[in-house]
Amino acid sequence: MARLRDAAALNDAAKPPDPPTSEASALLALSSRAPKLELSTLDLCFLATLYLRGQSSGSAAFTEEQLFEHFEQAAQVVERDPGSVRKRATHAIARLRAQRLLSRVDGAGLLRAGEYALSRLGAAIVGFFLEEDVLTTETLTLLTRTLESSLREVLTRAREAADADALDAAVVGPLKVTVHELTSGIERRQRGLDLQQEQFQKEISALLSADWFGAVESCQSLLESTAATLRDLNHVLLSESHRLQALLEDLQELALGFGAAAAEEAIRRAADQLDRIAAWSSGRQKSWSEYYQYVHRYLRDVVRLDPSRALTARLRDQLSGKSGKRFTLAVAHTSPPLLLREVAPSPERPPVKRPRAERDAPPDEQAAEDPFAVLEDAVRKQLDAGAASLRDVTALVTSELPEAERFRAAGRVAQVVARLARTRSDRERPWLPVSDAFAIEEWTLPRKESAGGRD
Amino acid sequence: MQPENPQSFEDLAQVVEHELFPDVDLALRRGRHIDRDDGAWYSFLSDAQAPLEQFYRRYGAELVQRTDGFFFLLPSGDKLGRRHLSPSEMLVGQGLTLLYLEPATVEQGGITTREQLLSQLSASMGTEPLMLAFNAKKKRMDERVAQELVRTRVNEAIRRLASLGFVELLPDERIRLRASLLRFAEPVRGGTSELEALSRLVASGEVALTEDAHDAADDNEPEAGDGDGDGDADATVDAIAQNVPEWSEGWGANFDQPAGEAADDEATSEAPAGDPEEEPS
Repeated sequence: MARLRDAAALNDAAKPPDPPTSEASALLALSSRAPKLELSTLDLCFLATLYLRGQSSGSAAFTEEQLFEHFEQAAQVVERDPGSVRKRATHAIARLRAQRLLSRVDGAGLLRAGEYALSRLGAAIVGFFLEEDVLTTETLTLLTRTLESSLREVLTRAREAADADALDAAVVGPLKVTVHELTSGIERRQRGLDLQQEQFQKEISALLSADWFGAVESCQSLLESTAATLRDLNHVLLSESHRLQALLEDLQELALGFGAAAAEEAIRRAADQLDRIAAWSSGRQKSWSEYYQYVHRYLRDVVRLDPSRALTARLRDQLSGKSGKRFTLAVAHTSPPLLLREVAPSPERPPVKRPRAERDAPPDEQAAEDPFAVLEDAVRKQLDAGAASLRDVTALVTSELPEAERFRAAGRVAQVVARLARTRSDRERPWLPVSDAFAIEEWTLPRKESAGGRD
Repeated sequence: MQPENPQSFEDLAQVVEHELFPDVDLALRRGRHIDRDDGAWYSFLSDAQAPLEQFYRRYGAELVQRTDGFFFLLPSGDKLGRRHLSPSEMLVGQGLTLLYLEPATVEQGGITTREQLLSQLSASMGTEPLMLAFNAKKKRMDERVAQELVRTRVNEAIRRLASLGFVELLPDERIRLRASLLRFAEPVRGGTSELEALSRLVASGEVALTEDAHDAADDNEPEAGDGDGDGDADATVDAIAQNVPEWSEGWGANFDQPAGEAADDEATSEAPAGDPEEEPS
């Protein structure tokens, strides 16, 4: 099995699965359809009647009249004296059809009254309640032997494969269908056995409650029979699972040799399923063994020593204060020894002193800067340098400002330019971009020829 | 603890040299009951019973084995310390024993829950007497606070009984009932009258009679708050932890320590914390 695990680990590393996503999408798809099941006892009994009649008659389809008849029979059993059966049958049939438990199979539509059959879902629900799929030594041996022969066939075909694709074709399909079905069959029967054990435990408790001392023999025989069944099952599983795992290992070697990733994945899944079955067996064996010992002790120490259940009655009287003297039990008492902590020398710390220097420094006086004056100086500088238009002045002055302040500064530039220089504009005043962020209405700034400056 | 193959011990030296001896010895001295569920410990005690009986007799204690399948140490002299269970521990122990005897518990393999225990106590004693038993000093009781206090004290008692091996605490508030619980039913077992059985048990030192359960509760369990606030129940635990017993007694008397530190250790130790009913040895 170690080889299988290693191969599985390699496979995992090469191709990481993504189950949460697929699970989530499957759940999402399911919830989007908003499916729900709502079944009363009568509905279930009606479905069971159809299931059983179908099995006995060999025909899975029922006419409408037969449906009404079977519903009436089920209602008679469940309610003894049912009323308005026909009307309720109509509703029940509609309800079961809406839940896809019953489906119309004739396809005639309006032409004539239909024929109906249990759907796969309906049959499965009834099968769960009616069938007793419990694991026994016989069924387990049969299933494991069939599984072994299937695996041998798969191995033979895998050995004949020439390349990875042929190996995938020979392994994946059979493992997914045949082997999966067989192991699922074993697991389903395991769940059946679990249910049966739970019933046994309830039965033992009920037997003791009903007939305290008289139930000892029947309780012991129940315990023995279940213990023997589990022992046999464990024995079969231990021997058979070893052979099955050996076959899977051979398959895994072939898949690794060809580098057939799909086959490896299918083999790993099959091996996991077999591991689960074996783990179930040993787990149940252990827990039943504990329960077996407990009940045996209980029968010996409690039931046999107190055949009339007087002890419980006396203890209850004592607890309620109806009889007996109050007492208290003595027990030995020794306090646990004291574990002293190790002494750690404290580090040398400097003595605490008041700081001599003043902590707060006096504030320095700073000359305030008028941003408008700065802007005016910059505009004046550009005008003196011979800027020919408002756009030039604005672009040069605002280029050093942050992006967010340029638009606001443009208005102030225009105001300063209008104050410091003579401006001229055409009748049609053009809007020209200063930067990517904004545009302004253009003015030209005529030069004063004599002075070389502005008017 | 897995059971081992039977061993034969020729003398006490072999027993003391056994790897399990220190743990089993300490557990017994701390009042632990050891039963078949303890596996290797129980097997060791069964195999070494004869030399260990002689060994503990020198300490003035008896290694008791019951046919129900458990061992415990019963000090009778003054060399080993001992204590008596508090009234709340006794009530809870008797309730758990009733559950142990119930056929309904068999269905769960001897596992029960705190809710089932409270339900059993309430059904056997009645709700009012149950609350009175756990709130003895209260003059005026707010019902909700009183119920909370009962639950707290029951939980505390279960924890102490678990440290003594009467029950085993499992996840999800479940409790595994053990055979040693049958000690609580000793006075009412067998064909003899209850008085006769009690006299025999008192003479052997296994039990002691108490005057009145309520008085005993007053004496032994610290009062928790005034009963007029939400913190009443929580205060119980603190009060119990603060009420540290006289340090120390019997075996281990050489581990003297200040009472303040003892409180911390007792609160976290496996042994029952600071029970006022301890007998000085």
